[in-house]
Amino acid sequence: MRLPLRNLECLWGEEKLIKIVKRDQPSRAIFFLTPILAIFLTLVAGGLIFYILGFKPFEALKFFFIVPIADNYGLSELLLKATPLCLIAIGLSFCFKSNNWNIGAEGQLTFGAIVSGGVALLFYDQEGFYILPIVILAGAIGGMLYASIPAILKTYFNTNEILVSLMLVYVSKLILDYLVVGPWSNPEGFNFPETRQFSDSARLPLLFEGLRIHAGIYLALAAVVISWFIFYKTFLGFQMKVSGFSLKTAKYAGYKGKKMIILVFLISGACAGLAGVGEITGPIGQLHREVSPDYGFTAIIVAFLGRLHPVGIIFASLVVAITYLGAETAQIFMQIPKYTGQVFQGMILFFLLASDYLLFFKFKFIGSKK
Amino acid sequence: MNTNLKISNVTKIYPGCIANDNVSLEFNSGKIYALLGENGAGKSTLVKILSGVIIPDEGKIHLNENNLQLNSPLDAKKNDIGMVFQHFNLFETLSVFENLIIDSDEQRESLREKIDSIMKKYNFSIDLDIPVLNLSAGQKQKVEIIRCLIRSPKVLIMDEPTSVLTEQETSELFLSLKKFSEEGILIIYITHKLKEVMQLCDEVAVMRRGKLVSVSQIKNENLESLANKMVGQRLKTIKKKKANISSDQLIKITNLNFISEDPFETNLNDINFSVNKGECLGIAGISGNGQSELFQVLSGEILSDKNSIEFNKNYIGDLNPQERREYMVAFSPEDRLEQAAIPQMKIFENVALNNFKSSNFFNNGLINEKKIREHSKKIISDFNVNTDNIDLKSQFLSGGNLQKLIMGRELITSPDLLICFNPTWGLDVGAINYIHETLIKINENNKSIILISTDTDELLKLSDKISVINKGKLSKIMNADEVTSEKLGVLMGGGEID
Repeated sequence: MRLPLRNLECLWGEEKLIKIVKRDQPSRAIFFLTPILAIFLTLVAGGLIFYILGFKPFEALKFFFIVPIADNYGLSELLLKATPLCLIAIGLSFCFKSNNWNIGAEGQLTFGAIVSGGVALLFYDQEGFYILPIVILAGAIGGMLYASIPAILKTYFNTNEILVSLMLVYVSKLILDYLVVGPWSNPEGFNFPETRQFSDSARLPLLFEGLRIHAGIYLALAAVVISWFIFYKTFLGFQMKVSGFSLKTAKYAGYKGKKMIILVFLISGACAGLAGVGEITGPIGQLHREVSPDYGFTAIIVAFLGRLHPVGIIFASLVVAITYLGAETAQIFMQIPKYTGQVFQGMILFFLLASDYLLFFKFKFIGSKK
Repeated sequence: MNTNLKISNVTKIYPGCIANDNVSLEFNSGKIYALLGENGAGKSTLVKILSGVIIPDEGKIHLNENNLQLNSPLDAKKNDIGMVFQHFNLFETLSVFENLIIDSDEQRESLREKIDSIMKKYNFSIDLDIPVLNLSAGQKQKVEIIRCLIRSPKVLIMDEPTSVLTEQETSELFLSLKKFSEEGILIIYITHKLKEVMQLCDEVAVMRRGKLVSVSQIKNENLESLANKMVGQRLKTIKKKKANISSDQLIKITNLNFISEDPFETNLNDINFSVNKGECLGIAGISGNGQSELFQVLSGEILSDKNSIEFNKNYIGDLNPQERREYMVAFSPEDRLEQAAIPQMKIFENVALNNFKSSNFFNNGLINEKKIREHSKKIISDFNVNTDNIDLKSQFLSGGNLQKLIMGRELITSPDLLICFNPTWGLDVGAINYIHETLIKINENNKSIILISTDTDELLKLSDKISVINKGKLSKIMNADEVTSEKLGVLMGGGEID
């Protein structure tokens, strides 16, 4: 652990009032409190930014965080955005817990969408209860296939999974682009870059009439429960925990490191693929260029904000989902570009990493020497 | 010109360990001071504080009445404190001269003259223009010393300087140190070797478990009195009974090779040995000569040719550690905190790291926590681990207790062979005695041990047969009663005996 800067120890001149002291061990309470602190700091900083831009901070924050979810439609939209974030983040937590840095969930989502979309298009003029399960399964398999590339390259060729998984995101997006413009484009679509609409049998059922929230949320909740069980009750979860702390120990214990790396990538890919299925068979209903507003990347923030804990991830996905909605509201009502949403996501991660300092160090008030 | 260095009430606390507990010391130039203590006594922490590498939690350092605020090694250098570390900080591929000028902002030309005059003055003869990798350990140390002398230091700290030197180089070093001292440089000499202290120093400060135990004149001390101060209690001498070793072979290693892709690892070259039931084979050597690689090959962390390791008539060279454990082999690696156990995990979770099929810790892929807890409680009581809380995180166990836990975890299934690597490294005497007794008991129960250790005394005490590893090669295997520490020393240094 790095030593704190010496000069930080002295905050008020010669007489030290506050001292920064290293903790004997990372604090468990702080571990779960820092995400809340990070969100609070993000609100403060966000308010400040709005103020500098010439808005009334409280009003702007209200437009950003409260107005979007003030009615049933808003809540439905919140859950709609939180579903893929939660699902992907759960998958990523398998990788991150075991020291595998898969940051290509966006690519795995896209590829899952491509494979399941392809299957759905095969059935575009058919109806049947069996279609949806096949489409969902195809999406999971697509995501797994795509995640297996960085996993196999890492285990057998020692490549860096961060680079490979990231680069594959762009590859998958270009494949999707090619397909919707070329071979899969809708023959009656006036050359718009999109496919045919899927048949109703390939669509996830809506939960409420008139709202967009769909059955995909059950997939996310199932993932939460299953992941909790695996993390805390199974040998696989134990192996992941050990590998996350020390790869040397995992090797000494005799765990099959390569198998585990591939397995966590597959789980992670399957979750991202399912998120892709949820998008195209839920709100979108066809394939086009923009199947995901970077859910795969944002889910990395969700995973860490939720402390890689299944329950934490549920809350984190709701918080981060608001930034998507808030950005849209703010664009409509305040003419602020919707990219402000990404600014908020970035700030959350930034403040979370910064407040992690408190995990290892504490402020000690030692009073004036006088 | 007199130099006075004063350390007042220095305290440095690490989680779970007080490295320096309110240490106060005063040094004056003209004398050579020894700082004596066992591994882990806190002497390295103290000198690292003096050289600015570690910032103390409390306490002050005064040099000639000036309060020093040492926040970095650079501050120490600026304040005329020079330090030669045990491990050299030299760039192997750069020339001697380049290494010397690397942290200096003086002109090259004037520096060269300065270096030449220093070398002439102290009779050093080193070619300044050859790369450092061509130098012997003693010469490299001289380069480090010159690097300090360039800055005309008032204080020169030497940390375990003789651990890598030959006899000849050691006596040369002592001559130079005496000369520096006559010229008014204050010398602080850190060691755990008593003979050197008696030979070289004028005053000696003894540290034990972070505390300063005594400061005295060398002329009032002898080897025994210093040893007792250092260790703190009269050593119970453990004697291994000459066991009746059977002639049944347990493990046989044949033509074992390991070629590493990592330049910082040592290749193993044609290793051959065998161990009988009830026998302890000791493997001696200076650390970094392939011990860690040998341990990993034996444990299965590095796989080798299937036929190269024969255990109880099974070939196990291509099995991983978990699979080898099923044949009743146990392993205790050197690194307790980063390999053998995970400090952030609870005691019972650490126990689950050693997982036999028959122990049923994991049924059908599910954790059987009840079973693990029962097993952990048994280990804690059978092996005297000083806690009764198996939910305690292992980081709160002392080194000795953690090692007892690890040993217990490995031994409670009474394996046929224990392979251990520096099992007592950094432990206090009580814990060392306990571990040694445990190891002797294993042999008495007709089980075998491969003991890889850098502690020669430990090897001589516990082994039935001894071999020395040097640059990845094993010497011939000798009977322990024919071996002396002198003979081992020659072999460890790469020499030959009869």
